Amino acid sequence: MSHFLELSDISKTYWSADGKTETKVVLPLSLNIEEGEMVMFLGPSGCGKTTLMRIVGGLETQDAGTIDLHGQRLAGPDRRRGMVFQSYSSFPWLTVRGNIKFGTRYRKDISPAEKEEVTDHYLEMVGLTRYADFYTNRISGGMRQRVAIARTLASNPDVLLMDEPFGALDAQTREHLQFQLMDINRTEKKTTIFVTHDVEEAILLANRIVIFSSRPARIVKEIDVDAILPPEARRSGEADMARFMSLRSEILDIIRAEYAHTLEAV
Amino acid sequence: MTGGGARTSGRPASKSLARKKVTPLLSHLLSFRETLPRRTELALGSFGFAVFLLAWHMTAVSGVIRPEFLPTPWSVAQAFVRLFTERDFASDIVISVGRVWFAFLLSVVVAIPLGLMMSTYRAVGALLEPFIDFVRYLPVPALVPLLVIWFGVGEASKIAVLWMGTFFQLILLISEDTKRVPTEFVESGHTLGASNGQIMRHIIIPAALPNMVDNLRITLGWCWTYLIVAEIVAANSGIGHVIWSLRRFVKTPEVMAGIIAIGIIGLLTDQAFRYAHRRLFSYQQR
Repeated sequence: MSHFLELSDISKTYWSADGKTETKVVLPLSLNIEEGEMVMFLGPSGCGKTTLMRIVGGLETQDAGTIDLHGQRLAGPDRRRGMVFQSYSSFPWLTVRGNIKFGTRYRKDISPAEKEEVTDHYLEMVGLTRYADFYTNRISGGMRQRVAIARTLASNPDVLLMDEPFGALDAQTREHLQFQLMDINRTEKKTTIFVTHDVEEAILLANRIVIFSSRPARIVKEIDVDAILPPEARRSGEADMARFMSLRSEILDIIRAEYAHTLEAV
Repeated sequence: MTGGGARTSGRPASKSLARKKVTPLLSHLLSFRETLPRRTELALGSFGFAVFLLAWHMTAVSGVIRPEFLPTPWSVAQAFVRLFTERDFASDIVISVGRVWFAFLLSVVVAIPLGLMMSTYRAVGALLEPFIDFVRYLPVPALVPLLVIWFGVGEASKIAVLWMGTFFQLILLISEDTKRVPTEFVESGHTLGASNGQIMRHIIIPAALPNMVDNLRITLGWCWTYLIVAEIVAANSGIGHVIWSLRRFVKTPEVMAGIIAIGIIGLLTDQAFRYAHRRLFSYQQR
C-alpha cells in the first residue's frame, strides 16, 4: 500500500560558485505523509528544511531520490502543490478579491461561475470580505498572508506547502492566524507541510512534528502530537499545560543539542 | 484652540498642533518626508519659475550683460510669437515631435520584447549584454557622421541617431525592471499552475510595468537631446535646425525662444506621462 506523499532517499548538495566546495544540504532522507495530515518541519535555522520543502514543491531539484504523490512521480512545480511564502507574495496590481481569484485562474476543473463561488468562499473563510476591493498595499501584513493562503487554497492543491508564513508577523497577529489556520484545516483537511522554527507554533498546529538535524538535514525525531495532545483540546485552548510544557522542553532540548553540533563544526 | 501651554513649552497635547501655532506655513511645507496637496505643489513649482524669470529680467535690464547676449524675458516672449507668425515654426515643431516619437516608438517595440527575453533567458542576456554595453558607451554625436554616410541627410539618418541613442539604454532598463520582479511572484505563478508564457503575461509584465513606464518617460527625454544634435548637424527642418540657422544672424531672442519651446514640449510630455502613470497604476498610491 503506497502512501499519499512519499519522499524516498532525497538528497541535495549545493556547490560554491567556483565549484570547488560542496555543502550537503539534505542527506538521503525518506518521509511519508498521509492524506489530510498536517506535518510541521522543525529544526535549527539553515538546516535545510526549507530546501526540502521547496524540493517537494518542485521549486528546487533534488540530486537524487524521488517524490510520489498518489503513486505519481513528481517533477517540477505545478498546481498539485501550492506554496505560501514567508515574504508577501500577493500581487499589488490586483485587489484582495483579484488576488484570491487569481488562484482559480489556471483551473480547468471548474466553470467560470464556480470560480467566482470559490473566490467568495475563501474570501469569507479568511475573513477578508470587507476588504475585497482593497489593493494589497493598503492592508496589513497579517491580511496579506491571509490573502496568500486564500489564493493558494483557491487553486485547490493536493498538498499545501507553507514556508514560515507567519514568521514576519507580530506575536498577536501570528497567534490569531494560527488559530484561523487550525479552523481552516479542520474544514479543508488539506495535506500540509509547514516549515517553522517556532516550537510552540509547531505543537499547536501539528498532527506530527518532524525534527531535523543541523545541516545537512536528516530526521532526528518524529513526534505524533495528536497522541500526546488531542487536536480538539489544542483548538479550544484547553490543552493539558503540563504535557504541553514537557513536550516543548523535550523538543527544545533536541534542537539545542543540534545547535551545539553546528557550533562545534564552526 | 488649545491651552497656551502647548505653544511655549512643557508637554504639548499634540505635537503637530503645537508646531502649527508657532510657524504654521513653514512647518506645513517642511514636514519631513510627507506629501503635499497638489495645489501647494503647483504653487511651489510656479513660484520657482517666477523667481527664475525675475532674476533673469533684473540681470538683463541692469545692463551688465549686453542685450545681444542676454535679452529680456519679454523680448524672448515676443520672439517666440514672431517664430510662429513670421516663419512657420509650428510645422518645425510638428516635424521634430514626429521624429522623436517615431524613433522612440521604434526603439520601444524592439527593446521591450528583447529586454524581457534578456532577463528571462540567461543565454539571451549573456549573448547580448556585452555588445549592448559596448554600444551604450559610444557617444551618440560621434556616430552622426557615420550614420549620415550610411543613411544620407534625409529622415532616415535622424531616426537612426535617435534610435541608437535610446534603444541600447532602454533595453537594459527594461531588462533590469523585469529582473527586479520578486522571485516569489514567479514561484507563486508556477505553483498556481501557470505556464511560463502565462507567468510572463499575467505576472512578470504587470509587476514590472510601472517601472517600465517610468523608464520610457526618462528615455523619451534623452530622445530630445539627440534630436537637437541630429537636427543641428544635418537637417533643413525641425526645431534644432531653426535654432542653429538663427544663430548665424545672432538672433539671440529667437534662439532662446526655440530652446524654451523644447523645454515646454518636454514639460508637457513629462506631465502627460506622469498623469497616465498615476491613472494606470493608482494601486501604488498609499
